[in-house]
Amino acid sequence: MAEIERVLAPASLDEAAEALAAGEATLLAGGTDLMPASHAGKVRFAPMLINLRRIAELSGIAVEDGELRIGTLVTIAELLGDEAVRERCPILAEAADHFASPQIRNAATIGGNLCNASPAGDMLVPLLAAGARVELASKPDGTLVRRVLPLEEFLVGPGRTRRRPDELLATVRVPAAAPDAIWRFFKSGTRPALDISAVSIGLLARKAGNALHEVRIALGAVAPTVVRARAAEATLEGRVLNPETMEAAACAARDEVHPISDVRASAWYRKELIHNMLRRMLSDVAET
Amino acid sequence: MQIIARETLIGKRIAKLDAPEKASGKTRYIHDLDLPGQLYGKILRSGRVHAKILRIDTSKAKALPGVHAVITAADVPWQRPIGVARDHLPLKTDRVRSPRDEIAAVAAQSEEIAQAALRLIEVEYEDLPVLTDPLDALAPDAPLIHPEPHGADGGTEHLKPGAPVAYSGRPDNLAMTFDYEQGDVARGEADSDLVVEDTFRLHYVTHCCMGVSGIIAEFDSSGNLTMYSNTQVPFLHKREFAEILGMDPARIRIIQPPIGGGFGSKLDIYPFEPICVFLARATGRPVKLVFSREEEFLASPTRQPVILKLRSGCRRDGTLTFRAVETIHDNGAYTSWGATTPFVMMQTVSSLYRVPHCSYHTKAVYTNNPYAGSFRGYGNLQATFAVESHMDRMADALGIDPLEFRLKNAQDPGEVTPQGMQFKTCGLKECLKSAAELGDYQAKRRAYAALQAEPGRFKRGVGLASMLHVGGGAKIYPSDGCGTILKMDDFGAVTLITGASEIGQGSETVLAQLVCEELGLPLSAVRVVNNDTEITPWDVGVHASRTTFIGGNSAIGAARKARAKILDAAAKQTGLPAQALDLRAGQIVEERSGNPLLSLAKLIRSLHFSDKAELVMTTHYYEPPSHHQDRQFKGDVSAAYAWASQVVEVEVDTETGAVRLLKVSGAHDVGRVLNRLGIEGQIEGGIVMGQGYALTEELIVEQGRIRNPAFRDYKLVTAPEIPEIAVRFVETLDGEGPQGAKGVGEAPAICIAAATANAIENATGVRILALPFTPEKVYRALREER
Ligand SMILES: Cc1cc2nc3c(=O)[nH]c(=O)nc-3n(C[C@H](O)[C@H](O)[C@H](O)COP(=O)(O)OP(=O)(O)OC[C@H]3O[C@@H](n4cnc5c(N)ncnc54)[C@H](O)[C@@H]3O)c2cc1C
Repeated sequence: MAEIERVLAPASLDEAAEALAAGEATLLAGGTDLMPASHAGKVRFAPMLINLRRIAELSGIAVEDGELRIGTLVTIAELLGDEAVRERCPILAEAADHFASPQIRNAATIGGNLCNASPAGDMLVPLLAAGARVELASKPDGTLVRRVLPLEEFLVGPGRTRRRPDELLATVRVPAAAPDAIWRFFKSGTRPALDISAVSIGLLARKAGNALHEVRIALGAVAPTVVRARAAEATLEGRVLNPETMEAAACAARDEVHPISDVRASAWYRKELIHNMLRRMLSDVAET
Repeated sequence: MQIIARETLIGKRIAKLDAPEKASGKTRYIHDLDLPGQLYGKILRSGRVHAKILRIDTSKAKALPGVHAVITAADVPWQRPIGVARDHLPLKTDRVRSPRDEIAAVAAQSEEIAQAALRLIEVEYEDLPVLTDPLDALAPDAPLIHPEPHGADGGTEHLKPGAPVAYSGRPDNLAMTFDYEQGDVARGEADSDLVVEDTFRLHYVTHCCMGVSGIIAEFDSSGNLTMYSNTQVPFLHKREFAEILGMDPARIRIIQPPIGGGFGSKLDIYPFEPICVFLARATGRPVKLVFSREEEFLASPTRQPVILKLRSGCRRDGTLTFRAVETIHDNGAYTSWGATTPFVMMQTVSSLYRVPHCSYHTKAVYTNNPYAGSFRGYGNLQATFAVESHMDRMADALGIDPLEFRLKNAQDPGEVTPQGMQFKTCGLKECLKSAAELGDYQAKRRAYAALQAEPGRFKRGVGLASMLHVGGGAKIYPSDGCGTILKMDDFGAVTLITGASEIGQGSETVLAQLVCEELGLPLSAVRVVNNDTEITPWDVGVHASRTTFIGGNSAIGAARKARAKILDAAAKQTGLPAQALDLRAGQIVEERSGNPLLSLAKLIRSLHFSDKAELVMTTHYYEPPSHHQDRQFKGDVSAAYAWASQVVEVEVDTETGAVRLLKVSGAHDVGRVLNRLGIEGQIEGGIVMGQGYALTEELIVEQGRIRNPAFRDYKLVTAPEIPEIAVRFVETLDGEGPQGAKGVGEAPAICIAAATANAIENATGVRILALPFTPEKVYRALREER
């Protein structure tokens, strides 16, 4: 049984960081990962439980310095309905549209998804493709400090991040997409709704004529954490999309991943999907 | 005075009587019931696939404050085995055969304390060789799951003096066998121009009732036991519990709170039920034991997994000649109803179409896997999948349109099949034609087949399949009957006391409707009482699609007796002959003119408050005119048979293997539509259940362990996947059915998987012999074909 001794519901980031500095704590946002994991006996609660949901400054979406600043408590439903997100990071809105069910979307937060760091997490793929950074807050010696890490560095492995125990995720910063950006998101599962990804792909690039630049491809559920398909990106960089380049990129992506087999899919099928769907996304892009 | 015309409720769209309570969340399911002084029961399961129990130490758990009892097999040396083959002791003594096996149980003041106590129980095991492939289990040197000559747990240690010998065990791993023959298969094969053979593999799925399993058991001070139970068969269970508990059946009362779904899962007694009774006995308190969802996945039964080898033959002109089936049923560690699904499977094999020569052989084999129970369709989804896949294969091989091929071999009314089934009404041909028309089957099939080889990511296909299922009960017990008590109060309102249980299928509503039809009353005038063995008359239970048919005829019988009594009394008062009178809208009217003569309520009161004071109370017991099968499995087991054909249209994504159901067009011989809303719901729900079986649902069992005991990874169909559904009712007006109706509870789920297989073949040219058609499986099959 969970031995929770104290439950805190701080009203400010400062208070939360202070409480965190005082000792080991479990952080609760929407609870949609935490509660099922605790019922399954997969998490041990720390003596202190901190409910983050009353911290107003951790919610809300703003645009600053051309960047989207998304508070950690922003729910998937809020992302879906937000004009700024749709305009500046449409791939994120698209991924939100494939996320769970309306009930879960109302509770699940973007920060919870990132901190949970599942390789199948649906926010990770578009954010990695978009070059997002995360802002972590802590109060080591009485003053609130923030550090910013690229998402790619933040994610370490399944359920593991660079977040220190005394830190909490405050904000997600996403550079706005270029005006000539193209984007595609794909998620595969047994059914179209309420499914955990067996494979997911995010594609973001700038398109000039029929050539792609600054190609970024993120893959979900094929490695211990969400990864970039750098070999595939390299085959596409600056090239014109044609059947040969698209096939080469699809093959490169398939060959550079080493997924596992589990209840959702076999490694072989995951690789096949990466190939087929990346090629499909690229030919889709070529046609528009 | 106002003329009252005759009105009927038959065929109308009537909302279920319990809908307002359910929709507003007010229904009190077993989860919502709490008795004063109640304790909470929890079960410790083995978590081992196959092992000897070396030691159990419950002392720490017993010492935990709030714990009232911790029991193991040692505390109930008199426990008796349960299940269809009586091979299953509720609390295991010296051996566990699957991870779900019950080792110990706790009753405590709260669920949390009970849970904590479970963690304090120490058990030491010694692992035994694991048997998880039924084919391996048949090998001569295979480890034995129930070695003889011992008790249910395989060892001798527990056979203490005075303890009942549980199960005598077996020298092999054969739990049950079924052998059926008709005609001469060898001759049939010699007569054939075409023979096809395939091995089909059917997987594990489970019921996923919204309401999980649960029970509350309580003894009164005189030793009488009351169980609040979700059972579908209260009267059979009353008797069986008496046997298991060594009690006088007269001291056992079963009350069914509203049941959150059954689908066959609550047709057997499972260990948690006697265990809860043991705990109630040990503590002298009411004990409530309700499963968690994970426990429901791990420890409630599955649909029967089957390896089915089918050999079928026909002549060049498309006449079927023979069919030979051999199946291996993975029985799991214990025997429940799943092992007996051959009863139904062989009916489809022998009698869905006319086949002169047939053989059917099943071996149900013990393994350390989960065990299967009864599940809507009862083996028929499995058998129909194989038979209807072959109907398409043969039609294609002969170059005959599959619809024509089926029509050529379809049963007609009046047919008596070699298995002894008598089809007094039979709408199969009409179902076939009607479903084909509704789904534009023939034209689409040709068009889609022509597009198979064309480039393109998405391929479409249509598939057709039909089914036969019992529709007038099934006489597998000494009686297949149902009793009714009907009483009318002084105001003309009826209490209908029926043995027929409501498990969400809408039986309450349809029974009330049938009574109203006889008595000329609005639905609001009827209350149904159907959930207490102390009150209701006997009934077999909810299974075999029987409740509307059997319970309906029983209710009609009681209502007709009441009607006769009322009209006799009215005849005396009005001076008109009873035949000239009718009951309409709560009035006695003149039959021909509709002129109201007397209010029903007044008539009843005048009967009651007279010199010869009398009440209108009637009883009826309906026993269908069906027969037990003989030892060769022959006989007319049901009073009527239901038929259906469904056309499924799919779209296959050849780059991912994902199959989308676009449309299901069904034609169902339902005898007659009684409650249109109810039957539409029943059919749509059944189709979606069949869709889950075909496409998404699979209980993944690896090395005896269930890998996905949660809705996250056990994938039920969700709303966006539900296809367009078009249904036509074929009304064959069965002479024995209530108002002509037949049972349809199981029918709609049965042929979806088969039709989907045929549709995928039409779309892609690839035939897949194993379910479910998950994207990966379909993709793999497409790749292997290329
Ligand atoms: C039915 C169901 C369907 C789902 N479907 C999907 C899906 O389609 N796609 C998908 O990606 N996920 C899915 N999930 C998983 C889950 O909903 C998401 O990962 C969600 O984003 C988690 O957010 P939360 O706010 O609920 O996190 P919580 O459960 O509250 O927290 C998750 C983890 O992050 C930590 N945490 C939360 N906030 C912070 C913070 N600010 N700083 C530091 N640590 C923090 C918590 O301590 C915990 O370890 C599903 C879950 C369920 C139950």
